[in-house]
Amino acid sequence: MKTILSLLAVAVIGLACSSEPDITPAMLDGGALFDPSLYQPENYLVSRAIPNPTPEQARRPVIIACHGYTATTFEWDEFRAWAGGRTDFYLSQVLLGGHGRNYAEFKQSTWRDWQAAITEEYDRLEKAGYQNISLVGSSTSGALLLELVASGYFANRPAPRNLLLVDPIVLPSNKTLSLVKVLGPMLGYVESDQSAGEDQYYYRFRPQETLQELQRLLNVVRKALQKGVTLPRNCVLKVYKSKQDSSADPVSAVLIHRGVRTAEGGRIDVELVDSDIHVYTRLKLREVVTAKDQANQTATFTDIATRVLR
Amino acid sequence: MNTVPNRRMPPKKNWFEKSTVLFVGFLFAPLVITPSFGQDRPAGAVLDVGIRLQKSVNLYAENGFTAQYTSQKLASQRLYVGLSYVTSRLGTALGSNAIRQDNLLVSAAYYFRPKGLIRPVVRANLGYFSADLGDDIFDALPNASLLASPEVGLCFCPDIPLKINASVGYNVLTGNGTTGPGTLYPVFVQTSITWNVLKKPKN
Repeated sequence: MKTILSLLAVAVIGLACSSEPDITPAMLDGGALFDPSLYQPENYLVSRAIPNPTPEQARRPVIIACHGYTATTFEWDEFRAWAGGRTDFYLSQVLLGGHGRNYAEFKQSTWRDWQAAITEEYDRLEKAGYQNISLVGSSTSGALLLELVASGYFANRPAPRNLLLVDPIVLPSNKTLSLVKVLGPMLGYVESDQSAGEDQYYYRFRPQETLQELQRLLNVVRKALQKGVTLPRNCVLKVYKSKQDSSADPVSAVLIHRGVRTAEGGRIDVELVDSDIHVYTRLKLREVVTAKDQANQTATFTDIATRVLR
Repeated sequence: MNTVPNRRMPPKKNWFEKSTVLFVGFLFAPLVITPSFGQDRPAGAVLDVGIRLQKSVNLYAENGFTAQYTSQKLASQRLYVGLSYVTSRLGTALGSNAIRQDNLLVSAAYYFRPKGLIRPVVRANLGYFSADLGDDIFDALPNASLLASPEVGLCFCPDIPLKINASVGYNVLTGNGTTGPGTLYPVFVQTSITWNVLKKPKN
């Protein structure tokens, strides 16, 4: 009887597990399209473009812009376009580990792999002599950057001047993510509702393994915020958060506001943005973009540049 | 193409994993125990008063107080009506930066196998949730909600006025980034430990 029940349980689990997703070559997941920063890193990373800066170049502010879960460097392309030919700061667009490649590589990656791409660029810039580095992160990169601060990554190296987080996630809007450890193995993967255009820049299929990694990261960051996180000296943090957000629950901003203090013990800055878009600074390929959305994007880009140049 | 080193964290012992295993063990192991020495149903009314320990899966621990009442008129003491209050102030938010949030619940519970040591229980909760988001800048965010949650579990009822009740609950209403408080999570586990304060001591 026991054996029969065991076999039945295995059969039910087996039937419940989904097969591999139906990936086409037109999708980023498919292994035919790759993030362009993999081919031409010098167009995206300042450490590759100017590995040996002059003293004047080394003093110029560098913004390392990091994207969110399943995204690519595309997420910050509009910031580069907005900056145009500006020469008063540099922009480094980092591709997170496991991202921008293919479904199999994404499936195998951990949140530590995602984060490693950020620290590698930071280390390269620091070793090259750049003295004024700021970090900008959207969505999951917000959590990755907070974890770097909480874990003491900046304790023994020059700290960034600014940490600027656009729609950082600490708690997901879709609370089903909290059950991914149980439901994930039965589902196999989750398909996101995005356009064919977005399929070229964002993974369409989210392997449950990576969703579990995301939940692990969020738990680490949430618990660190509960204990309290102190910013390095001379580093400021600002959160830009959409009031309505179907991916990163807006209450994430509350948790960061409660959990992070400046080195002097002060509160961090939070701006609630009147938007219902997750990562409202990326408007390309959105189905509907209003004048207000564009105004929000411009205001935030302007504020980021102003803070970095302060 | 992947130049990222595969740095993996050593697996950390997860408190929740361990507690879940213990909880599930407590919940289901007694089903195989012959319930031959459970408490007899008292003839009069029952008022169980005690503590309720609750944990949302992947979020806060919220603890507080609970009370439930039954009498012969309520389905021969199978049906209980109750009132509970749990708060993160007595849980995760105690001495931490976690959000202070309160849950007030009224409930109706039905106990099966009323003479058994282990009694399956189903419970329906209705209530009110409120979170203190702290700063005025967050006034635009939802911080309150109605609560509606079914629970299923087991009660350990020995031959003394003690009841230990463990169950899994599901919040039907949760936050979703647009409506509802963001710290209202769907699945929770709870344990309540109560004492029947109306049972008179034997002479």
